[in-house]
Formats: sequence, C-alpha cells, structure tokens
Amino acid sequence: MKKGLVFILLGMLSITFLSCQRGVDQAGGAPRIALVLKTLNNPFFIDMQKGAEEAAKKLGVNLIVQAAEREVDVEKQMQIIENLIQTKVAALCVTPSGSREIVPAIEKANRAGIPVVIVDTRVDPKTMGESKGKIATFIGSDNYEGGKLAGEFIAKKLGGKGKVAVLEGIPGHETGDSRLKGFRDAIKATPGIEIVASQTANWERDQGFNVFQNILQSHPDVQAVFACSDLMALGAVEAIAAAKKTGQITVVGFDASDEARKAVLSGAMDATVAQSPATMGAMAVENAYRLLKGEQVKEEFVVPIKLIAKENAGATDASK
Amino acid sequence: MCLRGIALRQNFFSHYGRQLSTLAGLLGLSLVLWALTPHFLTVSNLLNVAEQATIIAIIAVGMTFVIITAGIDLSVGSVLAFAGVVMASALHQGVPLPVALLVGLGIGLLCGLVNGLLITIGRLPPFIATLGMMSVARGTALMFTEGRPVSGFSEGFRSLATGEVLGVPTPVIIMIVVYVTAYFILGRTKLGRYTYAIGGNEEAALLSGINVKLYKTLVYGLAGMLSGLAAILLTARLNSAQPIAGMNYELDAIAATVIGGTSLLGGEGTVLGTLIGALIMAVLRNGLNLLGVSSFIQQIVIGSVIIVAVLIDMALKRRGK
Repeated sequence: MKKGLVFILLGMLSITFLSCQRGVDQAGGAPRIALVLKTLNNPFFIDMQKGAEEAAKKLGVNLIVQAAEREVDVEKQMQIIENLIQTKVAALCVTPSGSREIVPAIEKANRAGIPVVIVDTRVDPKTMGESKGKIATFIGSDNYEGGKLAGEFIAKKLGGKGKVAVLEGIPGHETGDSRLKGFRDAIKATPGIEIVASQTANWERDQGFNVFQNILQSHPDVQAVFACSDLMALGAVEAIAAAKKTGQITVVGFDASDEARKAVLSGAMDATVAQSPATMGAMAVENAYRLLKGEQVKEEFVVPIKLIAKENAGATDASK
Repeated sequence: MCLRGIALRQNFFSHYGRQLSTLAGLLGLSLVLWALTPHFLTVSNLLNVAEQATIIAIIAVGMTFVIITAGIDLSVGSVLAFAGVVMASALHQGVPLPVALLVGLGIGLLCGLVNGLLITIGRLPPFIATLGMMSVARGTALMFTEGRPVSGFSEGFRSLATGEVLGVPTPVIIMIVVYVTAYFILGRTKLGRYTYAIGGNEEAALLSGINVKLYKTLVYGLAGMLSGLAAILLTARLNSAQPIAGMNYELDAIAATVIGGTSLLGGEGTVLGTLIGALIMAVLRNGLNLLGVSSFIQQIVIGSVIIVAVLIDMALKRRGK
C-alpha cells in the first residue's frame, strides 16, 4: 500500500517533469534567455510574453518564461531568479515585482556574470545606487506621461470643472506612483477640478469594484475616475453599473488591455492609456540577444505611449 | 545482543516510520530531478534550495507546535509583515541592531500571546482568533507604513541573510539552530510533553493538572516569535520590509507541517517531519523552475503533492492500527 502510493507519487511527478522537459534542452546551442514576469494572470504580461516569444523565434533564442503566482510576491520572484541563475541562463529579462526588492536579485545575477535587462517597472535608483548591482538596460513606458495624458483627457471631458476619484495601485510601485504623479500634475493645472478621493485597489479587479463602490457611497457626486490599471478600471465600471450610474461617470484606465478596448468601444469606459507590452517583450529579448553578442546597447529605451478613446480603440499596439 | 538489536530496530521504525516515508518522498523527488536536469544536484543549487526553504521552514516550526495542540494559526504571514516593518522602521530610526532584532522578535511574540489569550481566556476557536489577528496585523502593518515598503539597511543587518559560515548561508545555519532547539523542546521539556498532551486530549490534560491555558498561550507566543524571526531574515534577504509581505505563508507553513506527518487533529507530529515537508516544498518549486515549467502547472503539481502526501500518511496510519 505504502510503496504503491509512493510510486504513484513519483510516477506522477516524472510524467509532469518529462512532459515539461522537452522544451528545455532541445535548442542545444541556442542562447538561453529567461524572461521573469510579475505574473501571468494579467493580460498585460501575457501580451509581453507573446511579443518576447515572437522575437525569440525570429532570433533563434531559447526563451524561458517564468512568473510568480501573485504580481506582488517579491520573495517568490527572487526565488525564481535564483533558480534560473542555477540553470546558468545567458541573460535575464525581469519585470520587477518590487522596485527596491529586486536589487538583491540583480546583485546575485551580476555575481554570476548574467546581464540583467529590466522591463516595465523601473528599479529604485536610490537602492540601486547603494548596492553593487548594475543593470544592462531598461525598457519601459513613460508612465508619468501616461498619467498626464489621462489627467488632461478627464479635464477636457469635464469641461475644466468637477470632482474626480482615483484608484491607485500598490503604493511604492514605481509604475503606479509615476502614473499617479503625472495624473495629479495634470489635474493641478486645471484649478476647477478636485480629487475628492484617492485610494488603493492593489491592482486588482475585485478590489477596484469594492473600493469604487465605497467611494460612490461617500462621494455620490463624483464625475470621473482614473484607475492606474485597466483591471481596477473595469472593477469600477461594474460598481458604476451596480449603482445604476452607467454613462454618468467618466472612466479612464491604463494598459489598454483587450477587454478595456472593448469597454471603450461600447462606451462603458471612456479612455485607457496604451502601453505596448508586446513591443516591450520583443525589445527585451532583442536587446538581451545583442548584449550576448557583445554589442553595446542604450542605457534606456522609452516605448511609445498613447491615449486610446473611442476613435482609435480598434488599433492594437501603441507603437503601431 | 541480537534480540536487543531487533527490538531496537522495530522501535526505530515504529518511532520514525512516518518521517522515513516523508524522507523517502524527498529523496525520490530529488532523484527524479537529478535524472532530469544537470542543474539540480550541485552544491550551489542545494544550498540555494536550503536558503529558499528557511523562511517557511522557520514559520512551520511554530505551526507544528500549534497544530500538535489541535490548533491552527492563520496569522503568521501577517504577523511576519507587521514585525518586519516595525523592526525596519526601528533600524531606520537609528536603533542599535540588537535592539531592533529584539523589537522584531518581541512584536511577533506579542501578537502570538494575544492569539493565545484570545483562545484560552476568550475561548475563541483558534481559527477565528488567528483569522482576526491575520487581518489586524496586516492592517496595522499597512497603516504603520502608509502602505509603502521600508527599505535600505546596513551591511551588518543584511549579512544575516547574505552572510556565510564555512560556505553555508547564515539563514540555513539559523534554521538548523531553530530546528535543533525545537526538537529538544518538543522531546525533552515540560512544554513539549504538555503540547502533545493538550492536543491528544485536552480534557485529560486539564484533569491531570496541566495548566492548559498557560501552555497553549505559550505555544501561540512561540509561533508568533518565530514569525518575527522569519521577518528578520526575509527583510535582510530582500533589503526591504513590505507591509504586504508574507501573504499566504500560513498556507505554505500548514502544508509543510502536514506533509511532514503532523495530524491536524492534534496530539502527534514532529519537527523533523516538518523540516522534510518544508524541504519538499522548496525542492519542488526549485525543480519546477529549473525545468522551466509554467507557473500554472507548478500550482497544480504542488497542490497534488500535498494531497498525495497526506493520502500516504493516512494509509500508513490505518495500517498501523
């Protein structure tokens, strides 16, 4: 009985491993580049993965994609990076789960002689400065500019006067903080507009729903909401529908995910800020590849960003 | 001589049988990985796995004590976050290192003792008391830091996680010390014997004159303090204390404990089993990473292993009866 069960367990594991094994060594001489994403349950990172995979196919790179289950799990991301270092990958592309918490992992990769390409979320410059770590290049959107675009859109839409709510990401995340700062600066430039509530919904859709529902209770006269990500914006859309206020509140999100574009087309959302995750993923792999060939790469690449409203919601990538 | 040898062997197997089957699982798993990837069985990777296991392994020691009393502690992850941010802020305020470390351990101990008092004096079920603490400690950590991580520490503090003793990472050494101490407490002291007695039959323990309230409270205090210790190591490792750190760690710790053969019904369990359980979880995650398995499949595999491990355990128990 006992032996039987042990064998079943081992058999189960071997099958899982063997079935996943094939992709690992078949590429033989091709350089192995790893892309570590924050998570794979956010469409933004799935698009990034697709872009990276296409680029890898073109260049003949053996690409390994890994992600933690939860977007904010910095410790799990660190473990993934440590484990990838053990497999002696040639280069690492990482979207940091934490702007500061990623630094020790970068140091470890550096010690193993593996170049690190940072994607999407900037590393905290102060923490980086205090460490011995060094990144090869950064590829990301100008999130501040994106927040500003969103702020200007809302200001125009409301005619320069009104009450606005904000759904923030997790505090301390460079991406969310920059979007917020850009948004606030744009609103500050329009004295008639007031931010009456600004709360975090931790990047999550269900929290976007709950938090905005609460905001609607305390500020029933709110006219617009800016969410630092589409998931939170879509949560707010549901909260607005539940309050039977669809069409009365301007909703602006960030990321231009497929679902958000559809919502913009249908009128449930008014705008979203498009980043180009697929382009980012592709550029990450391309630049990692160039580094491995010994070429010089720029210190930083800014990927274009633009506002998507009803007129242009059909397009797919900000850079196109 | 010969007879004594046989008796000893039988005794050895009946006493360590369960850990042996868990250990066999760990070795079997390692064997599979060794066959599949050249990167698994290297000194640097094994040290890497041991280091990755430390945080959950240390929390799981406290969890083992709690579960042996037939309790549960859902607050360990939140308490870790709370202890971490308070200690980190203390360090930023210029509090001397040893004092800051005591603050971290102290906050953990305090939260644990409150859990214990709610359960013993307040007569709350452990599930409810620690569920409440889970939320209170998390909220307090977020309020204390306004949601932001506290980061950037001295080399001295960080060496708790980055240092090495004879090539072995410091956290691994600390983990071993914790386990040896816990093994001693559980097997050789009054606290240990009473922990088993309370979990085996609380009524009987009470009737035989054991101060159940006191020892139960101490057990929850211990679990909290070990969360504080884990907070110190995690903060040093990431060079940052996050108010959202440690989410779902309680579940990993419970899994490690249960894989290690501790019964959720209480009264039985060993820290040795828990250590092997924590190592199985870490080896599994490491191996799946080394092999480049998608993170979705990883979750399925880990869940299945927990279920199968407990199935084996139950089958063994039935056979033993």
